[in-house]
Amino acid sequence: MANYKVHTNPVRDEWLGEIAKLENLDEATRFIQDFRQTYTTPLRTSYQLELDSLFIEAKIEEKLAVLKASKLTEAELLTKATTGEEAEQVVRTWMRKMDVETNKYKAEEILIKFRQIYKPPVLPVNYFLRADAHLGSRLMELRNVDYYATSLEELRKERGVKVIHLGKNAKAA
Amino acid sequence: MPLSSATHAATSALRANRAPTSVSPQEVHRWLQSFNWDFAKNRTKYPTKYKMAFDTKEQFKLIAKEYARMEAVKDERQFGTLLDGMTRLGAGNRMHPRWGETMKVASNFLEVGEYNAISGSAMLWDCATAAEQKNGYLAQVLDEVRHTNQCGFVNYYYSKHYHDPAGHNDARRTRTIGPMWKGMKRVFADGFISGDAVECSINLQLVGEACFTNPLIVAITEWASANGDEITPTVFLSIETDELRHMANGYQTIVSIANDPASQKYLNSDLNNAFWTQQKYFTPVLGWAFEYGSKFKVEPWVKTWNRWVYEDWGGIWIGRLGKYGVKSPPSLRDAKKDAYWAHHDLALIAYAFWPTGFFRVSLPDEEDMEWFEANYPGWDEHYGKIYREWKALGCEDPKSGFIPLQWLAKNGHTVYIDRVSQVPFCPSLSKGASSLRIHEYNGKKHSFSDDWGERMWLTEPERYECQNVFEQYAGRELSEVIVEGHGVRSDGKRLIGQPHVRGDNLWTVEDLRRAGIVCADPLAD
Repeated sequence: MANYKVHTNPVRDEWLGEIAKLENLDEATRFIQDFRQTYTTPLRTSYQLELDSLFIEAKIEEKLAVLKASKLTEAELLTKATTGEEAEQVVRTWMRKMDVETNKYKAEEILIKFRQIYKPPVLPVNYFLRADAHLGSRLMELRNVDYYATSLEELRKERGVKVIHLGKNAKAA
Repeated sequence: MPLSSATHAATSALRANRAPTSVSPQEVHRWLQSFNWDFAKNRTKYPTKYKMAFDTKEQFKLIAKEYARMEAVKDERQFGTLLDGMTRLGAGNRMHPRWGETMKVASNFLEVGEYNAISGSAMLWDCATAAEQKNGYLAQVLDEVRHTNQCGFVNYYYSKHYHDPAGHNDARRTRTIGPMWKGMKRVFADGFISGDAVECSINLQLVGEACFTNPLIVAITEWASANGDEITPTVFLSIETDELRHMANGYQTIVSIANDPASQKYLNSDLNNAFWTQQKYFTPVLGWAFEYGSKFKVEPWVKTWNRWVYEDWGGIWIGRLGKYGVKSPPSLRDAKKDAYWAHHDLALIAYAFWPTGFFRVSLPDEEDMEWFEANYPGWDEHYGKIYREWKALGCEDPKSGFIPLQWLAKNGHTVYIDRVSQVPFCPSLSKGASSLRIHEYNGKKHSFSDDWGERMWLTEPERYECQNVFEQYAGRELSEVIVEGHGVRSDGKRLIGQPHVRGDNLWTVEDLRRAGIVCADPLAD
């Protein structure tokens, strides 16, 4: 429960203070990766920052982009991830991983993890978008075949949800 | 003087492609088609599981010059009428005040749809490989820019001429306070620009435009006229003249993917999801806006819905696409059930949440109640009874300190928000088909109101992560939320939202504070 103002609040102030302390590229890269894995996507480990996560993530991205521009050369800005990896190599590895995956839940995890780890400015946009479109297209192919074949009850089980309440017209199966 | 390589190339191209001697636009179009880039190996940056054919044709075959000339004439007529004739007639103040409030919502929300449609159709431009198909999408991008301006202009015109501009003049910030906003974003923003690019076309062109622009942009002009508003028909019918092109684009999207056998694996489930997404919001919201936001009624929403959504779209339009393997969505049957009561369910909630609005709402009067009961037998016993009770408790009068939200809480009528559509619903008061289910996933609780939406979330949970207003404001006192969201008039005291449309007895921030309402999240432990 947030119970504080939406736009200006102590949580954002505290994070802005932490972000201001980031001074080098490696540290900022780890910081944004940790942040995204902890506070974003359905695979997050904490919903504590639900109200503020998008704002904070945007501020870390701003800082990382500035640090990146000051450290990488013009050519590297287009070809290297801030992790130090070659962007082309990263993209190939993840696309290959997705291409051989046939389970939709595992494919979903691949796409989400790719975004948590490499969403720009970690990876240059020109590489990220190509890979993201490829991974997303493949995931949608896996998810959308025989869309209605599984019953709702089965889907709930597969997704691993805990059913707390089912109303009078909700399908049990 | 030696020829430059560019001039040489142009001369050679003209030699190979002789300029037509007639002025037939179709001939000119064919000629222009021969000067083309090669998009065969086009790589889009947007994901899609479909393959769009390289040789898809476009029905309108407009070239930029013809397009610009045609749209300029429309703009001249529209703005000329508004800024001259209608201003002299005092048109901005001749509509029933209930309708003046409805247009705060309708024009501003449509503006959002038009704005996102710019992106949606540009995304399709990027995705398509056929030059003609790209041409159709490009014309739509230009249309959507025009429509965004037009919708903004309706609110601007009202701000200058209508007796109660609050809401018309700053809807872009105050609209975010209440529970109607995020559902609108779901249909008009996410639906048009996120996920599979072809699925976006299905949402935008095949469902949003071919199905719901008829009620949203055409039916609304009838309701507007009946309630004394000549501004809305002047603008919205000008918008609608472009919608045909967009419907044709939706048709061509389907044609472009139809030859790929793999398309059949996804097409009908995408269409069903798109239809359910769009109808889940529009069916209740349009019905509420027309019937509760007007004094003079045109026809029951359920009839309009049956004619335009069920018969024209679900039957005739989708029927024409049958040869491409498109089937009428199975969720249409459930939507039809909802078209009877869902807008009445929503109207109760909209009234109960009036302080969060950037518009004013009003209780149905005795004449309205008679009309509702005549057209929706059983309405009075359920909804009429509640409105009468709220009126008796003084819901319109700030001195009473009574806000219907308190009545809902006191009587155990919890309001939930559907995670997928973001539409609020109250299971214990609902006569519509919705049915509550609550799930916990990865430590987070989610509420849903129907099977179709629940399946969408179970399949793609990352698409439906939007925090709802109850989660956003939980624990905060309501007047503080309204002040932070700028829901206060220019005197800094009176609220923009009001529970009536009269000039006197306006509720202030102080009145609301005295009511002592604290926002609560029904899913919190």
